[in-house]
Amino acid sequence: MVGVTTLIVYGLTLSLEIRRGSAVYLLPVLLAGWHLGLVPALVAAVAGVLWSGYFFFSPYYSFFVVQPNEIVNLTLFMVVAVVTSHLANSMKQQTELARKREKEMGNLYAFSRRLAVASSAADIYHAIAEHLANLVQRKVVLFGAGALATQGGASEQALLSERVRAAIAEIEAGRSPASTVEDGAGDVWFVRRVSEKTADFGVIAIGSVPAENVEEVRQRVDEVLADAAATLERLDVARVLNDARMRSETELLREALIGSVSHELRTPLASILGAATVLSKSPGIAADERLTSLASVVRDESERLNNDIQNLLDATRVSRKQITPRQEWIEPQDIVNSALERRRRRLASHKVALDMETNLPLIYVDAVLVEQAFVQVVDNAAKYSPAGSAIILGAKRNSRHVVLSVRDAGAGLTAEENGHIYERFFRGERHAATTPGSGLGLWIAQAFVHANGGKIEAVSAGADCGTMVEIHLPFAATQPEVAPDE
Amino acid sequence: MSEALALIVDDEVQIRRFLRAGLELDGFLVEEAENGTEALKLATLKAADIVILDLGLPDMDGSEVLERLRGWSTVPVIVLSVRSNETEKVRLLENGADDYVVKPFGMAELLARAHAALRRYARASAGEPVVKIGPLAIDLAARIVTVEGARIMLTPKEYRLLQILAQHAGNVVTHQFLLKEIWGSPHLHDTHYLRIFVRKIRQKIETNPTQPRMLLTELGVGYRLVAPEPANSVPA
Repeated sequence: MVGVTTLIVYGLTLSLEIRRGSAVYLLPVLLAGWHLGLVPALVAAVAGVLWSGYFFFSPYYSFFVVQPNEIVNLTLFMVVAVVTSHLANSMKQQTELARKREKEMGNLYAFSRRLAVASSAADIYHAIAEHLANLVQRKVVLFGAGALATQGGASEQALLSERVRAAIAEIEAGRSPASTVEDGAGDVWFVRRVSEKTADFGVIAIGSVPAENVEEVRQRVDEVLADAAATLERLDVARVLNDARMRSETELLREALIGSVSHELRTPLASILGAATVLSKSPGIAADERLTSLASVVRDESERLNNDIQNLLDATRVSRKQITPRQEWIEPQDIVNSALERRRRRLASHKVALDMETNLPLIYVDAVLVEQAFVQVVDNAAKYSPAGSAIILGAKRNSRHVVLSVRDAGAGLTAEENGHIYERFFRGERHAATTPGSGLGLWIAQAFVHANGGKIEAVSAGADCGTMVEIHLPFAATQPEVAPDE
Repeated sequence: MSEALALIVDDEVQIRRFLRAGLELDGFLVEEAENGTEALKLATLKAADIVILDLGLPDMDGSEVLERLRGWSTVPVIVLSVRSNETEKVRLLENGADDYVVKPFGMAELLARAHAALRRYARASAGEPVVKIGPLAIDLAARIVTVEGARIMLTPKEYRLLQILAQHAGNVVTHQFLLKEIWGSPHLHDTHYLRIFVRKIRQKIETNPTQPRMLLTELGVGYRLVAPEPANSVPA
């Protein structure tokens, strides 16, 4: 550069008769200082002194300088060049710093704007992950926060090493607020909770942190997360309040609907059914078989209607996910017996047999929900198998489950039907026209069984080969005990 | 049992109509109230022998009527409840209801509950010591239990459990009541104690313990020893 400058300057001196062209050598010093740093600038300064001594100071074309004023000139040039190069260099640094700051400020501003307009926790998590990745130029993975965070899916988690996952689990469990961990492949990860106060908002892991500036990264992450956590806390409160308000509104509406449906439809049903039972026992009618059978038609049909209403109400509960099991220890046989008792009239025309093992383990379930599920299955058996055929209610155990079952000799299931029976409103085509039904029963039964940690399965050899439906409910290996009687 | 006065408390006129018919056919005298205030007034004035109480009343909650009634009266109360609310049933039973039937219900079921409750009160006042249920006889005075005449041995807690159920024979007894009476308040939620003891008792008294005919489970609520045959009863 100094050479180029010399050529230009030499050209200038020849054409323009400029003497004392040495000042021009400040130019490379300045440029070197700006672009290359302090040392190149000093080199340029020294080179400038030498070259200008060679070209512009007498004796020309020699590094010797004889005239005292020219020596002073060159010394001054040297001083000016050093100072200039230093100034140029530090100015460049300042500018760079200012630019970086500006960029950071821009990011931070964008980040805080995103936080301010964030309407969901997922927005915030997204913003945090992006902003941190941008800021520290590292890989950022967010975890947990229950259903709140959408970041850090299973695939991302799977990429992490065992050690990092252990550290994350440690922090998620709330045993420490932050830690630094080496992942086994020489990569240092900084892991901390999003919020200092609680582990509820999830955990953030920042990868490839250079060991020497862990502290710096930590500090910046802390700054960013302080803001974000505050927003999350604010938003979370808002969300909870909002949810509660929404819930209480829908709850009210639901209560009103269910209340009015059950009252409006059931009250007359209760009168009809009750009146029918009184009639069937009254002297005039009890003596006439035709009349008592009519009375029992009224009773049976109003019971069926009542079940349909109950199914509708249960379906609302299921679709609103408002099934909260009240679990207690229960004898599995009690559930089968209770269902049988409840459906005794309905099963009167079938040959019902019980096949229950003795000494089954106690199960910890909501007995009422499981019984309702079992009743649905019993109803199906009664509905889809001919009068006079056998229905076998069973209770047995396998290695980990108690299995309640209903086996009938009825319409059976085709493979196609078996794939759909748990769908809401599904009705088999073979029966849609001939057997009334809503297609809700098994869907409700399945929801009730799932709510109790169980599963429901139907087995059938095919159309008209009968069906066996099993409800599997897990039992605890350690059964509850009671102190022996004194 | 005849000439007992039943007070029907329900705001639905059709329900009152069939209840009146059913109860009168069974030999009851009947009074009707269509709201809580009237019910409390009639219960005082007419000295009802049994109250059939609906929960949804226009002026006050059925449970409030029950609470006020229990302030001064031990009259048997059968609650008419809606399905799927075991918590409410338990609460009412704990607050002094003698039993419940779930709407819609058949008349026979209500009559069975009502008779069981009436018999319990009669037995308590007459000091009748033996409760007989099919092959089972429980002599509450001598503390002897026999099945088909053969004495069976029960542990003290097994006997206590059976005794409480026998005292309430025909009516449901809640888990909480049994647990509190037998194991004390700290064990109010240890329903598995009951499951284990009932299993043992069934093995001793039932012909087929997996299909009990006498000691029945009311899911989510409690246990019921089926109604004993009244000395002077005609089979229904």
